[in-house]
Amino acid sequence: MELYAPILVLAVLGAGFAVFSVSIAPFTGPKRWNRAKLDAYECGIDPTPQPIGGGRFPLKYMITAMLFIVFDIEIIFLYPWAVAFDKLGVFGLVEMVLFIVTVLVAYAYVWRRRGLDWD
Amino acid sequence: MSLLTTASVLASPAAPGSPGPGLADFGHDPVWISIIKGLVIFVFLLLGVLFGVWLERKLISRMQHRYGPNRAGKFGLLQTVADGLKMGLKEDLMPRKVDKVIFFLAPVIISVPAILAYSVIPMGPVVSMFGHKTPLQLTDMPVAVLFILAMSSIGVYGIVLAGWASKSPYAILGGLRSSAQVVSYEIAMGLSFVAVFLYAGTLSTSEIVAKQADGGTATLFGLDIPLPSWYAILLIPSFLIYVMTMFGEVNRVPFDLPEGEGELVAGYHTEYSSSLKFAMFQLAEYVNVFVVSGVAVTLFLGGWRAPWPISLWDGANVGWLPLLWFFAKIVLIFCFFVWVRASLPRVRYDQLMAFGWKVLIPLNLAWILLVATFRALRVEQSTPVFILMAIVVIGALAVFFRFDTVQQRRREARAEQIEEEFEQLREEPTAGGFPVPPLDLPHYHGANRKEVPSA
Amino acid sequence: MITAPTIEYFALAPLLIIFGAAIIGVLVEAFAPRYLRRAVHVPLTLLSLVGAFALVILQTVRGVPTTPAAMGSVAVDGPTLFIWGTILVLSFVSVLLINDEEQFVPSAAAVPGSAEEEKAITEGAAHTEVYPLALFAIGGMLLFPASNDLLIMFVALEVMSLPLYLLCGLARRRRLLSQEASVKYFLLGAFSSAFFLYGTALLYGFAGTVDLLGIRERLAVGGGGTETLLLVGTAMLGVGLLFKIGAAPFQAWKPDVYQGAPTPITALMASGTLVAAFGAVLRVFWVALGNDSWNWEPIMWGVAALTMVAGSILAITQTDIKRMLAYSSIAHAGFLLVGVMAVGERGQNALALSGLLFYLVTYGITTVGAFAIVTLVRDPGGEAWHLSRWAGLGKRSPKLAGLFAFFLLAFAGIPLTSGFFGKYAVFRSAVALGEAWLTGLVVLAVVASAAAAFFYVRVIVLMFFSDPSADGPTVVTPSWATSTVVGFSAFATVALGVFPQPVLDLAEKAAKSLFVQ
Repeated sequence: MELYAPILVLAVLGAGFAVFSVSIAPFTGPKRWNRAKLDAYECGIDPTPQPIGGGRFPLKYMITAMLFIVFDIEIIFLYPWAVAFDKLGVFGLVEMVLFIVTVLVAYAYVWRRRGLDWD
Repeated sequence: MSLLTTASVLASPAAPGSPGPGLADFGHDPVWISIIKGLVIFVFLLLGVLFGVWLERKLISRMQHRYGPNRAGKFGLLQTVADGLKMGLKEDLMPRKVDKVIFFLAPVIISVPAILAYSVIPMGPVVSMFGHKTPLQLTDMPVAVLFILAMSSIGVYGIVLAGWASKSPYAILGGLRSSAQVVSYEIAMGLSFVAVFLYAGTLSTSEIVAKQADGGTATLFGLDIPLPSWYAILLIPSFLIYVMTMFGEVNRVPFDLPEGEGELVAGYHTEYSSSLKFAMFQLAEYVNVFVVSGVAVTLFLGGWRAPWPISLWDGANVGWLPLLWFFAKIVLIFCFFVWVRASLPRVRYDQLMAFGWKVLIPLNLAWILLVATFRALRVEQSTPVFILMAIVVIGALAVFFRFDTVQQRRREARAEQIEEEFEQLREEPTAGGFPVPPLDLPHYHGANRKEVPSA
Repeated sequence: MITAPTIEYFALAPLLIIFGAAIIGVLVEAFAPRYLRRAVHVPLTLLSLVGAFALVILQTVRGVPTTPAAMGSVAVDGPTLFIWGTILVLSFVSVLLINDEEQFVPSAAAVPGSAEEEKAITEGAAHTEVYPLALFAIGGMLLFPASNDLLIMFVALEVMSLPLYLLCGLARRRRLLSQEASVKYFLLGAFSSAFFLYGTALLYGFAGTVDLLGIRERLAVGGGGTETLLLVGTAMLGVGLLFKIGAAPFQAWKPDVYQGAPTPITALMASGTLVAAFGAVLRVFWVALGNDSWNWEPIMWGVAALTMVAGSILAITQTDIKRMLAYSSIAHAGFLLVGVMAVGERGQNALALSGLLFYLVTYGITTVGAFAIVTLVRDPGGEAWHLSRWAGLGKRSPKLAGLFAFFLLAFAGIPLTSGFFGKYAVFRSAVALGEAWLTGLVVLAVVASAAAAFFYVRVIVLMFFSDPSADGPTVVTPSWATSTVVGFSAFATVALGVFPQPVLDLAEKAAKSLFVQ
């Protein structure tokens, strides 16, 4: 724990500073009421009507985002492997080649099915 | 606790003359030393932001043949201070529809992790601080690099939440773009570190720096020629990929899509007017630049250690002096950021995604396997490795060529189709085509132009 | 200090072949031109199954290993090899069914009834992904009962289930029903996986290891104050596993999923998944929790009783042939659970195990045959599922109806069918334990069998003793693959009913070594 405790110092400093700045912001400036200031800024035109609660919006990169998780997990496997590589030797190399090839097969499939293309 | 014990088993304390502090040198500071170090880092970051904004404006002005800020203070040095004060005195707008809690929290969420990431960046060797021996680094841990990555990932939440909480089209688009950007470059970034870990055999930042202390020497004609030890040179593809992804990480040109001001006003922080809340975003952005620069320095550019010709001098890497090398490297990388900003246009973000997914990731994985193979061959010479690698390489090439022909055919088909459509539209302006005037109209070139005399 | 682990590649070869073929299948999907894909997939899939089966036989001949492979995480022992062989045979015939035309949707992503779907149909698009998906599922099925480690078991569970969730949603006709089945299966399956994982975590808290043998040792030592962890962990793990075999009260998904899924996939699930999940149940409860049987047996007793009663009674009320078969499968899961409790000393365990293994073989084969016949009876809108449509089928195509009636009788456990010996073997082992509470359960099981026989016979009566309606369903001429499947199932059902000894011997031999402990 001794290794992690000093982070708290920075955390307290940073969080204190950020929270302080954000919370005094409404009090340091002037207040001049204007209806337009309460609307979302859209370069001067009337704001786009929005459903209550924000509504739904399409995510065009949904599949990419899901692939991202797969590859993120792959990285999580790669880090300890890289750190222990010299001890694992050829066995580590062989296993990781198999693993990466397996992931790449899925990757090639997604690429070919245009899962990585925009829309 | 168990992490600590493994850490101290793995690493032995730095002896004098050793490459630098290791994990075992941490965790012995009394609280007051930690507080001092934390305060110094914090103040350094805040001042760094002030200085960084000024430097960026000044540099980019010179690159554009302008003077830049030159009114407040000598060389306009106080310009950023004045700007900061002004932000404090601006009206704090909060549109009616925003999600109030998250709207408040987003600036905090984005700025705190950015600052935290700096706690594991090594800035110098062990020095004597008020009679207490301590490394110039707040702390280190066996998973320090992972900690940095975690912090930068949390920071993205700040952006996405800011965009979402604003309930305004521009802000939401900015937030969404930011998450699209994360899923595109972060994998390449994570992968670019793997080769470094392969060489260093650790995730602790101080030990990675120590590993870059000495690349050994080659003897040529009786001369000892020092070999490069920086991973930026040994692992240059990894370094180049990291440099590319680090622009995405901090939303800087050419990957500043979440706040692309030409398209989205100010992107995710459109609704934050220009009050102190906005100042937090500004702060976080610059601190993030320092963080990625710090990571680049630590992982690839030898950390706080002096660059080559200077490193021949024995006194270069002891005491407080290395702080100078560290800051010099950071400033240079920062200048590189500014230079890129002045030179490159913003990419479209399907281009960014395609680049991250279709170029950087496969390249990176291939490079990692290559590095790993060389490492394995150094550990033990065995034919199975060669055979395996040959199979993998041949297989990969075969797949690639098949891939390439298919892609090529698709591209050609698509180009042909577009050409055809174009052709058709050009010929029939009435069918919704482009209103192209006939090229033989008299006022085009080729027709005689008569000068009309004035009165 | 880290040392490189060792892996017994030969022992794991059947698994590796199946997974390797699945990965090659994905590559085929990615790079082969559309018109070639099917032509590559079918031989690839069938050959890999045959190859894996050959390796299983080779291993059996060469002698069964007595220690777990791959650093103690996968146990390739006698029962595992028997289960592998069973699953591979069942998968082979199921893949033959899958291979039949017109079972799968041309474009799963298209909204049912939309112009996109029309376009996909006219273009002749096809999801040839079903072959690699099925192979992944089969690979998971192989790993599931063989895993000797709760984490590997969880991975196997997911590898087995995820492709099945997807496959369930690919039926060509009655798209909405199929999609509903897929979503239901996915949500409930994910829920049960979470239970399994949570149970794993709690058992880890209890034993300090996820290794089945480690948990067993910890239980043998006894003592300690973490009894709560053990009990709650066992319960959660049990929920996850019992869900997969469809035991009551976790049976709700089965009728919906069996009905909505494409019938070949239903056949694969009803046979292969059940066998695999049962193997896993046995391994967890006998190997890991074997020293704790007095704790889980009362609950298991209740679950078994509830399952067979609920399956038998609810099946009577069904009017849909696939739902009826699903409830019948639930009832059979209940009968099988009787054998799980018949544990005692070594000889008794071997007896119970051999009975269960034999039951699994007979039930799996008969199920595949029954579902194969369901694919043949068609209405204009797809397969004719409603029981009223089957009325008088015996008069219009007596051969088909006769075979179906035969399969139903085998489900009911009439002598001279394989089902009889299956039930007999399991119930005998339960009675052999000589405990009154288990003998009582056997009596209940026999009563439930009788109730189940009622609805089987009802279908037979409907087929043979009512008049066919004028616009009755058509019986399509089966393709060579479907004929093979039906023929094989019928033959096996007869052969195992008349002359079960070789397979019984095999099961006994496999069971004699018991699970690696």
